[in-house]
Amino acid sequence: MKKKTILRIVLPGLVCASVMAASSWYAIRYNDRRLVKPMDFSTYVFSSKDLPMLVSLGLVLLYAAYLVVLWVRAFMRQRRSPAASQFTRTVSPKLGFLGLLGFLGFSGFWTYQRSGSVFPFVFFIFFGFFGFFYEGKMSHTLMDERYKENWMRAHFNANQAALKIIFVATILLGQGALGDNLSRTFMFYIIAVTLALALGIFLGEYLLYRYDHDEQPDESEG
Amino acid sequence: MSDFVCHLKQYRLAKGLTQEQLAAQVGVRRETIMRLEKAQYNPSLKLAVDIARAVEAPIEDIFQFD
Repeated sequence: MKKKTILRIVLPGLVCASVMAASSWYAIRYNDRRLVKPMDFSTYVFSSKDLPMLVSLGLVLLYAAYLVVLWVRAFMRQRRSPAASQFTRTVSPKLGFLGLLGFLGFSGFWTYQRSGSVFPFVFFIFFGFFGFFYEGKMSHTLMDERYKENWMRAHFNANQAALKIIFVATILLGQGALGDNLSRTFMFYIIAVTLALALGIFLGEYLLYRYDHDEQPDESEG
Repeated sequence: MSDFVCHLKQYRLAKGLTQEQLAAQVGVRRETIMRLEKAQYNPSLKLAVDIARAVEAPIEDIFQFD
């Protein structure tokens, strides 16, 4: 990472984290854990002892807004640069390991049993991040007409596969394939949709890589 | 299966260009030129014209459709 990037992004983040840690410690030690533990804000009354925690919360919000501004500026700069827009984005294949977060989706079976919550199933979408393994291999590639053609073909096929799964799930679950239990039907529908979306994201990158690299031609210059 | 014959390789060699050089001239990747020479890729009209100009040969001599 560049020194300039560290100074502009990491350092303010560390300052915010330190201030937040210090104010949390103060709130736990001297302010009866106010604004640290969950509390009812409808009856909130300001106290001067809340100030450190409020200031650190404000700093975190400012830092988040600052990150968004940096990201938007970098995005706009990249779009304006014709040279940069001719190449695929530079991505590390190691980001593909984020796909392992998809396994968190299985915790949904546990939360559904305990509290009826189905939200953790949404984590199945992270399985799509395995596609970074292939996008990383195509990192900083010149997007010539063959690449664009392959990109359209790959994403068309990937989206079609995802839509077919959602279509089948909608028909089957809509017909009451799991009986009259609406809650379980909803759970399986969420699972089917999130897995289909993950498949769509992954397949788009995988097929693009395959289309670009299959039928390896003779590498000789002749 | 390809439905055209591509004579790009002989024209490129006659011009003394490498695949890399030709690719840079017409704004595509070397792999695209490789696939073109093996008739594994059907180019757009614009790319075909650019290539014909780069190797200074008639487009219909480079790409021959059945």
